[in-house]
Amino acid sequence: MALLEVENLVKHFPVRGGLMNRVIKQVHAVNGVSFSVDKGEIVGIVGESGCGKSTLGKLIVRLLEATAGAVKFDGHDITHSSPSALLPFRRRMQMIFQDPHASLNPRMTVGAAVREVLAFHQIAARGELNTKLDELFTQVGVNTDSKEKYPHEFSGGQKQRVGIARALAVNPEFIIADEPVSALDVSIQAQVLNVLMDLKAEFNLTMLFISHDLKVIDHFCDRMLVMYLGFVVEEMPCQDIHADALHPYTRALLGANPVSDPDKRSELTVLEGEVPSPYNPPQGCPFATRCDLVTDQCRQEMPPLVELDAGHRVACWEVNKTPEPITAAEV
Amino acid sequence: MSKLQRILNSREARKLFRDKIAVVALVLIAGYLLIALLLMCGVLPPKAYADVVGPSNSRGLFLSENAEKRYEIARTAMLGKVKRALQREDVEVALDEVHLGWLRVAEKPPEELKSIVEESLELQRQLKAFERLDDDPDAKALLTAFEQKTNQLVAPLSGADYFMHNAALLLGTDAQGRSILFRALYSIKVAIQIGVVTALVCVLIGALLGSAAGYFGGWVDYVVVWLYTTFSSIPNLVLLVIIAYAFTTSGSDAKDTLLPVYIAFCATFWIGTCRVVRGETLKLKQMEYVQAAKTAGFGSFRVLFRHILPNTSHLMLINFSLLLIGAIKSEVILSYLGLGVKGQPSWGLMIRDAGNNGDVMTGFFWQIGTATAFMFVLVLAFNILSDALQDAFDPKHL
Ligand SMILES: Nc1ncnc2c1ncn2[C@@H]1O[C@H](COP(=O)(O)OP(=O)(O)O)[C@@H](O)[C@H]1O
Ligand SMILES: [Mg+2]
Repeated sequence: MALLEVENLVKHFPVRGGLMNRVIKQVHAVNGVSFSVDKGEIVGIVGESGCGKSTLGKLIVRLLEATAGAVKFDGHDITHSSPSALLPFRRRMQMIFQDPHASLNPRMTVGAAVREVLAFHQIAARGELNTKLDELFTQVGVNTDSKEKYPHEFSGGQKQRVGIARALAVNPEFIIADEPVSALDVSIQAQVLNVLMDLKAEFNLTMLFISHDLKVIDHFCDRMLVMYLGFVVEEMPCQDIHADALHPYTRALLGANPVSDPDKRSELTVLEGEVPSPYNPPQGCPFATRCDLVTDQCRQEMPPLVELDAGHRVACWEVNKTPEPITAAEV
Repeated sequence: MSKLQRILNSREARKLFRDKIAVVALVLIAGYLLIALLLMCGVLPPKAYADVVGPSNSRGLFLSENAEKRYEIARTAMLGKVKRALQREDVEVALDEVHLGWLRVAEKPPEELKSIVEESLELQRQLKAFERLDDDPDAKALLTAFEQKTNQLVAPLSGADYFMHNAALLLGTDAQGRSILFRALYSIKVAIQIGVVTALVCVLIGALLGSAAGYFGGWVDYVVVWLYTTFSSIPNLVLLVIIAYAFTTSGSDAKDTLLPVYIAFCATFWIGTCRVVRGETLKLKQMEYVQAAKTAGFGSFRVLFRHILPNTSHLMLINFSLLLIGAIKSEVILSYLGLGVKGQPSWGLMIRDAGNNGDVMTGFFWQIGTATAFMFVLVLAFNILSDALQDAFDPKHL
């Protein structure tokens, strides 16, 4: 059963400038993205920085207004709901942000930040706020004695745990984690990921996990979407992505994340060429400027997202032509 | 840890206290504030700054005057008043009413006073015979005798009265014989009062409009930006003069209060705060904790008042300091132009008086000097503090 359905979502940011502060161009941040997330699933979104991952996440939780397309949560279209109509859904979906240092109000103690959410949504009675708070902090692994401390007294990892506690305060079913560990030290990343894993099981969460790191996605997710310049170029299960990945961009990303297996390291492809400007995306395949397999067709026409196997969709003229998946030898 | 402790322990506060000059400025400002507070509680009776306390244009620090001036002082101080009182029917009552500041008539029977007055007048007649009093030793001796005689009319002072009398004359008197020190001191109250009220109101207006404009964007932003660009395109002082002048000529009851000054200042001074708070809000609303607050479903007012405005408090503090100074300086200018403070002393009025009376022409600098020095120290201290605050809150400045 799909909990979240995203249909043809488009987001253009107007860029103002010139004499009268007119809109002079549009940043095409998200270009017609469609996918769905089933209950209990963890879906990853991967792509280079600036490809529109955060924008997609913010569109789903309605931090941004979509230019076109629809977001449906549990069957309800929430794309244009009013703030009051949205309130029940706010309780059901939450977001964890990328930069733990910016995700907590410096003027509020960490306890107050979480209590504010608990009180606002009447999750706990006034007298039981601190009990509930202690419970949450214990679950995410923050010392309950430090709840009256201010964010600057915490490390990045601790702040991110508080951010997770705040997201969990409303007891959500669905969480969007926007690069929750990429701002943290490598040694801390694993700890925070483990906390997320535990909580996922404990709260029976459905998750959209955003990262620029395929390794993390591979480790963490059931399924992944690969984004490039606001487009989804590949969607596939995360069983064996090294063997299954088909899109040249995904394969390049795999190369950029060398694995320990020496056989697989030989697949390494190096990304060359310019990323097209998001202001005026190319007419054909967005990846054409950097692709090894590029043909004239790629430069003229945008390849459609075609389902090859169950749950495996690829947008690439060359791959869709080949009946067999490309292997290392062919590349 | 209490809030105050947290503030005093913050990185910004420690940076501020490391700046020695800023600490001196803080101490000076604290002194001024304390004086203003005491004056508001009425420690200085109105007669100290409003009444004649001595001869006109006397020099400060009890510096000796030239002979002409000494003659003038002795002649005008008590002699005339006592003489007139003695001519009245109800001599006792009249004598009791005679005073010059804290000075009163000596407790002697009217007959005795009468004879002192007559002897004084006799000495005065003899002095009048001299063309010049300065160089002639005879005249000098006569003048001293005249001074001593007239002094016998005055009751000796003791305790608090003695202190107040000397304090009143410490920095001299103005053309009307009012105490320059007390007038300059009282002006602190007027200046601080106008500064604090203006700065508070303007920071409040500026922060509210600025944050609303930055946060809501759209037409709210359009209106606020239009308002402040329009207001700031009118030269500040011209607007102040127009508003103050409108009140002065309207003949309304408010024209003798500080209301016109407040209105004139509040109409323009909110712009700077509004502009910086709007800019900061544009930045803050992209911060992830604000996004998190929105994702939690909080309403705009909660987000604005709990998550955005508290994080602009350093800007409000700096602007408060800048506005306070701006208001005090403008008050002085308006008062100098005769459009500001009325019915109470103000540095601007003192400078204006000094100019009108030709003090500067005749080399009498006590009034203009005192008023300028009092204002200069306060403005300098606040400028130093504003700079130090800006440095303390600037993350790039260590
Ligand atoms: N508020 C905004 N205004 C204008 N452009 C934006 C805004 N937010 C994001 N963008 C642009 O949209 C594109 C996608 O950004 P983002 O979603 O943050 O990428 P990612 O999270 O994948 O790194 C970028 O080109 C970025 O510059
Ligand atoms: Mg991002």
